[in-house]
Amino acid sequence: MNLAISAIDYISGIKNGSLTAEEFVAKTVEHIKKHEPKLHAFISLNENAVEQARQIDKKIKSGQNVGEFYGMPISIKDNICIKGGKTTCASKMLENYISPYDATVVSKLKSQDAIIIGKTNLDEFAMGVATEFSAFGPSKNPWNTDYVPGGSSGGSAVSVAGLESVLSLGSDTGGSVRNPASFCSIVGLKPTYGLISRHGLISYANSIEQIGPMGRKVEDVALVLNHIAGKDMYDPTTIDSQNQDYLTGINSGITGKKIGIIKEMSSGAGLDSTVESVFRNAVSSFEKLGAKIEEISLDMVEYTVATYYVLTTAEAGSNLSRYDNLRYGYDLDSEGYEFKSYISKARRNFGPEVTRRMMLGGFVPSAGFAGKYLLKALKVKNKLKKQIQSAFKNFDFLISPTVPVLPFKFGEKIDDPLAMYLADINTVTANLTGVPAISIPYEIRNGLPVGVQIHANNLQEKQLLQAGYALQSTTKIPEIRL
Amino acid sequence: MVTKEDIEKIAKLMRIDIENADEYFERVQKILSYFDILDKANIEGEEIPVQQVGIENLREDKHIAFDDKLIEQLKNYKGRYIRAPKMN
Repeated sequence: MNLAISAIDYISGIKNGSLTAEEFVAKTVEHIKKHEPKLHAFISLNENAVEQARQIDKKIKSGQNVGEFYGMPISIKDNICIKGGKTTCASKMLENYISPYDATVVSKLKSQDAIIIGKTNLDEFAMGVATEFSAFGPSKNPWNTDYVPGGSSGGSAVSVAGLESVLSLGSDTGGSVRNPASFCSIVGLKPTYGLISRHGLISYANSIEQIGPMGRKVEDVALVLNHIAGKDMYDPTTIDSQNQDYLTGINSGITGKKIGIIKEMSSGAGLDSTVESVFRNAVSSFEKLGAKIEEISLDMVEYTVATYYVLTTAEAGSNLSRYDNLRYGYDLDSEGYEFKSYISKARRNFGPEVTRRMMLGGFVPSAGFAGKYLLKALKVKNKLKKQIQSAFKNFDFLISPTVPVLPFKFGEKIDDPLAMYLADINTVTANLTGVPAISIPYEIRNGLPVGVQIHANNLQEKQLLQAGYALQSTTKIPEIRL
Repeated sequence: MVTKEDIEKIAKLMRIDIENADEYFERVQKILSYFDILDKANIEGEEIPVQQVGIENLREDKHIAFDDKLIEQLKNYKGRYIRAPKMN
């Protein structure tokens, strides 16, 4: 049985009787057991997956209504809640935290008979680009286990690329879906801010983050979006998806579309020459597909990394304040402590990156410094938004490499947070402006994946997925060897 | 220029008390000096964006009962109260 099939092929396999959910899930579980010691994509696994698949097969056989996922194994980043199971955020602070309810995305997937195969690894509280900041150890890039898988949704990307799951849900605050998608050669979508409910996603920087689907094919990501997008009473920032069908017409092509190459993301000293050469190949493919290509300059991009880190640390500083060892993380007895020292002691449960970001988050909005950092960052955000909106008056899509560098080796950047932050330069713009962006796997060079990023205007996911599908059709990624 | 003392003060207010604090301060200081790049951005006359959620987008102001005993997840509680260390 081929575990590398797309979600669409899985569904047709079930429908035409060549596959059963139980066989597929059992095979997946076996594959996970074999490869997890090497890949470490998961923090916890669903022990009842095979039994759940058997129940779905029964429903299929007896002609009952079956949800659109037909028992397909889907993994979920471990900062998204599933009732009754652990949600650790890859942090010591939440090591034993049991979620009291399902995130909206999870209940939507469950109601369509998806099988949640496990919870995936991430950088602690989704802060990082390599999963090296997970309190439970990093995930490994399945293309070469000496290299990081990207982050923060690294475990999700590894589970999909490593054939341990057909699809996954990650979260993207500054590129956390697209970066690991690029590093692991899969597709990752950061939708328009508000298109997917964040209810049940543990907050890091609420004003810009989104849950995003990850899969091996563009059409698989479109399928998930069909089922999880839309308004949710529990998240007042959600917007109506108008029951858009993202899958129909995905092969419409992009003839005559105008594409802008974002100059500040696609050239310059920070861009790796291999990444640049792959990107140039993608640009000529877009031309062959009949798109018109021009370069466009968005001068605010230069300031986006600083802006992103100022705004997100400020929000994180506030979001993390609830982890006081009283309401969450309760390994300390309250006897024998004075309140302040108790909280400080409890916060030692945070790893180094979370601690750093808390410090920054306290600093940038503080009296005397807010004018220098926070308010300026908000103004840059405002101007960037205007620049993006004006670019979309002339272009249908804006493109760049997803990440300016190749996947790097473990330990290479861990001691230099700034170098790590700069890897986000091409991804943070979509978060700061709210527009959707997708990473499409384009080539494997010297054994390492390189992805291409496409942005579209707000709520243009349908067109964005069509462009991604068109680009996907021009390349052939070799089969992964595990 | 942000001094080590500035960072130390905020860390204390944030109730962060860590071993090898100097290493943290150094790195945070380095990141803050990178943020100085914002001084170069031409943002004259830009407004500060405000994210608004209209009242019509809020769910009905109605109590929805949650039956699980959440408090039992905590280690230090008594009845319906969380037990916290002494304030002074």
